[in-house]
Amino acid sequence: MSVGMIGLLGVIALLAAILIRIPIGVALAGVGVLGYAAADGWPKALKMFGTVPFELASAYSLSVVPLFILMGAIASRANMSRELFDAANAIFSGLRGALASATIGACAAFGAICGSSIATAATFSKVAIPEMRRHGYEPGFAAGAVASAGTLGILIPPSVMLAIYAVVAEQSLPKLFAAALIPGLVLALLFVITVTIVTRLNPKIAPMVPPMPTAQRLAAAKGLWKLVLLFFFAVVGIYLGWFSPTEAAGVAAFVAMVIGFATRQLTIRGLIDALMETAYATAMLFFIVVGAFIFSRFVVLTQLPNHLSNWVTTMGFSPLLVLLAIIALFILLGTFLEEVSTILITVPVLLPLVVKMGYDPVWFGIMVTVLCTIGLISPPTGLTVFVIQAQNTDIPVTRIYRGTLPFLVADFVLVALLIAIPSMALWLPTVFKM
Amino acid sequence: MRARISRFCGWLAAICLAGMMLVTVTDVVMRHLLGKPIRGVVDIVELLLTGAFFLALPAAFFREEHIVVDVLDHKMPRAVIWLKRLSALLAVVVLTVMAWQGYKVAGDMAMFGDVTSDLSWPKVWYWIPVLAGIIGGAIAAAVMMFARDERQ
Repeated sequence: MSVGMIGLLGVIALLAAILIRIPIGVALAGVGVLGYAAADGWPKALKMFGTVPFELASAYSLSVVPLFILMGAIASRANMSRELFDAANAIFSGLRGALASATIGACAAFGAICGSSIATAATFSKVAIPEMRRHGYEPGFAAGAVASAGTLGILIPPSVMLAIYAVVAEQSLPKLFAAALIPGLVLALLFVITVTIVTRLNPKIAPMVPPMPTAQRLAAAKGLWKLVLLFFFAVVGIYLGWFSPTEAAGVAAFVAMVIGFATRQLTIRGLIDALMETAYATAMLFFIVVGAFIFSRFVVLTQLPNHLSNWVTTMGFSPLLVLLAIIALFILLGTFLEEVSTILITVPVLLPLVVKMGYDPVWFGIMVTVLCTIGLISPPTGLTVFVIQAQNTDIPVTRIYRGTLPFLVADFVLVALLIAIPSMALWLPTVFKM
Repeated sequence: MRARISRFCGWLAAICLAGMMLVTVTDVVMRHLLGKPIRGVVDIVELLLTGAFFLALPAAFFREEHIVVDVLDHKMPRAVIWLKRLSALLAVVVLTVMAWQGYKVAGDMAMFGDVTSDLSWPKVWYWIPVLAGIIGGAIAAAVMMFARDERQ
């Protein structure tokens, strides 16, 4: 059997193992080492198996991941999501669907201080859904808006997802952050437009809420200073050359803690909870990363990516066709796989092909992240939808999915825009001369 | 009991995380304000990082937090408990082999006396949290093989 064939069988075995509910980290590591042994013998496979966890655990570039998760966890505990929602509400107040648009604005802003979609959705499901339901919004629409808006968290920098992409694709994280900013803001805008259209077509799902008095609006807008400060340390500081991404994450987590304590919104208990939650989430995530790196060593050994791109070249497929196939693949994987695993499994196999087809690896990172946001809200396993359903058990999952449908359309508009205008992602990094 | 051990592991990892944050902040402040960075800050952060990544691994098994794809669960509800046991068994095998191989590499590093570049700390220190987490994870997975499903 050829080595390329072993690689292909390995990918199939991995998908089969995942589908019979073997934990993804275990499946990746197990299939990876078996495949490596089949292709290159046990001694080398075992040696690789012993060294990969160690190499990764002491990889300084990965330290950015737990620190960004920690910053988001502290910011949620310190009630910052509530304040952002009030501030966004002050801006949109008086328009139809104002509360839904405010949710999107607040999630976009929260995405700028939190790297995870699940955390963003979980936080806002507690803040925004009760508020919308109290004002008579249709529950499915309310939940759908929160689920979709929550996905902005992985696109708007800082993003845990992009940090992981940076490591697997060996790309610069500051460059990826800069590239993600405009597409993230455009997606937020598209979501607000979606709310406007949907509530125009069907005014019953979002009754008008009387506009806030001006004094109250100004008071609510004051809460934004925390966001500005945190974004400054977490993102702007990197471009001013003050910090490396890891330092920015550490400093921003610390600043979130200081703000929380200073404004009396964060308790010691809350800080400990945030640390523990981050510790558990990190252990789980990192185990998948270890598995994925073992698996990708195997994939690289089998030359599967080269075989794939040679095959595509001999078939004479156009770059656009290949890209569309990749998009379809991501949407398919996104229906059952969670987003970090999707990236970890696919990027080592597909990136060489994508680059050979003439696409920019930074641009591809943004594209992949947008595709993952689609997976997060699409049936049958949209993760943010599940998180929201778990907190609002009286809203049926199917109704939430119906609520996310219009936002999926907006996601696809962004995908089309990214293909048509690649500079949407690639322009900002050039401004910073990266 | 499982919850207690999980909390303990979580605490250890959380302390490493808090340490990473504080060391980074101190280094940045000292570098920008006093012009004196902490010597070997990367070595320190990397050691804490190994703790943050691995020490809570047993908790991930005890708390059943690993990400699994459960789309087929409703098609085969009876099989789920057995698939969970199979998963735990595979996890035990994978982690045991990983620990055994890791131990060999760590032994070599100790023998050759490898040290870090800035602080000359023995590299084998970095293996301690890694191996502790992997071995702890293997034990936790083994326990879960025989655990009754608490949700039933």
